[in-house]
Amino acid sequence: MSEPRKKFYHSTVSRRDFMKMLGLGSVGMGATALGFSSKMPFADLDEMKSSEFSDRKLPFWVKEVDEPTVEINWDELEVFPGLQNTMFNPMTFGLEDAQKVNQIRVEKVRNDIINKTPGYSIQDHALNSASAYGWLDGKFEPPWTGVEHPPYNPEGWGHTTAYTTPDEIGVPRYEGTPDENSKMIRVADRIMGAADTGFVKLDERTKKLLYGNIVFEDVEEGYMDPEKHINVLPNKDLWVICSVIPQSLTMGSYTDRMSWAGANAYAYSRANIYSSRIKMFLRGLGYQQYGSATTGVGRAVGFGVMAGLAEYCRASIMVSPQFGTSFRTVLLTVTDLPLAVTKPIDAGITNFCKVCKKCGEECPSGAINMDTEPQWPNWAAGEKPNVSRGIKGWFLDTKKCLTQMFSGEPDCSRCQVVCPFNKYDSAVMHDLVRLSISNAPALNSMIRKLDDTFGYGVEKGSNLWDMDPRDIPLFGLDSSRS
Amino acid sequence: MRYISWTWFWYVVIGFLLGGGVVYLWSVLKQKAVKLVWYEWVLFILSGFFFIFLGQTFIASFQENESQAAWMSLVFMGIPILIMMVGAFRSLGPRLKKT
Repeated sequence: MSEPRKKFYHSTVSRRDFMKMLGLGSVGMGATALGFSSKMPFADLDEMKSSEFSDRKLPFWVKEVDEPTVEINWDELEVFPGLQNTMFNPMTFGLEDAQKVNQIRVEKVRNDIINKTPGYSIQDHALNSASAYGWLDGKFEPPWTGVEHPPYNPEGWGHTTAYTTPDEIGVPRYEGTPDENSKMIRVADRIMGAADTGFVKLDERTKKLLYGNIVFEDVEEGYMDPEKHINVLPNKDLWVICSVIPQSLTMGSYTDRMSWAGANAYAYSRANIYSSRIKMFLRGLGYQQYGSATTGVGRAVGFGVMAGLAEYCRASIMVSPQFGTSFRTVLLTVTDLPLAVTKPIDAGITNFCKVCKKCGEECPSGAINMDTEPQWPNWAAGEKPNVSRGIKGWFLDTKKCLTQMFSGEPDCSRCQVVCPFNKYDSAVMHDLVRLSISNAPALNSMIRKLDDTFGYGVEKGSNLWDMDPRDIPLFGLDSSRS
Repeated sequence: MRYISWTWFWYVVIGFLLGGGVVYLWSVLKQKAVKLVWYEWVLFILSGFFFIFLGQTFIASFQENESQAAWMSLVFMGIPILIMMVGAFRSLGPRLKKT
């Protein structure tokens, strides 16, 4: 008989521990709770995936809904042609302008280092470069058709299962029900670096969220055709694993802009490593896996919303009920492993954006739309190549945004820092506020005012380099929020 | 992660303050043989609840590096607690003096 499962895995006093301590009604018993073991009592992955912890448990204020809170006209929805038209690609506003902006950026970086501008020093830039390793150079980026790897040292001494497929070992591939498979992916995802996971089945609607360079053919396995600039998926049942890549709120909380840029870059780097890992995992189970880096498959916001990982918000990005805007992306992996789809959510976030507008007020470039209500796009075809029709939303002026980021403040990201959903998770009050936002929208305006009054989203003027290293969570990721 | 976190200490302080307050109130009421009427129960229980909530918010806000939120919560929740406590003791006062 194995030991009964323990409910506590951490020895620090978290908010939940604190509430339990109150429930016990005794300071002494609360202090005892500090000493609970952190042993993980699972014998294997099968046991872990069948545990109660592996189910997707949404926060209590979040409702699952049939349609997302952003209105989508699926008949009108335009497909993004490809990476060149994505929101943050400077090529969307022309090569000449992009080069001008980049030149200003180079000058800015040089001057900031020479003038020792706080937050833009040479060590800030160096930290950002180090964080970006594995992202911009593409070294960890898996190919479209998934990871291929020869078995580890097959001729000599070697790990018998490392990098092998079921075929190579001579065993049947893994089989499970969609529900079991989803739980398994969710467990593996947590270990491999995704904070939350949702699943979308590719159908006539959701295929429109893939980039336009992805086509379907009657083939057994997908492939890439560099000459035609297309990526091919097989015509069969396919699902998209949508994985939330968390981003350091700790680094973002320090006002040095390069610190926040480093948080961004580091999350992208982890996304690439995660992407290779999830593909190795699926390969090891005997299933197909497609996708590449964060820009490999399709619209991260679209799939993130459809998978119920977040809601669409005023700044044209996603807001998660648990992580606010402090996650870098929803990384997409296409697979033929049958999965149980997750539904969109309604936590009142899009509705809150209508009255909040804090991101728009704080945006130094004025790129964020300040209309109270989201609008159906009504511009001429091709006028705004990085925005597609079919979504009732607030659309970011990416040229203004990118110009600010490239020539003024690298990776500004103020819209993310100031978002009222972007909180640490220590104070119980935050959950009560989220509960109110989800169920009592009449109080949204007051909540926004209180967010200001309480000083949230205000830069504290502190310096990352002055921190006690022991106060920095490992990899910059605060465990209370994930 | 710090080698020693003192957060637990402040939660223990809250526990002692709350526990001490309850024991003090209970002993005074027993000594004076005074029984609480229903709205006094409501005021004391609500005050206790708000006190716990305030304490948690205050400590956690400092943990979150949000000192302004900590002090504002002291104002926004401390004042209602004070009003409820003053109301409860003003209601109790005449009976405590009589006995």
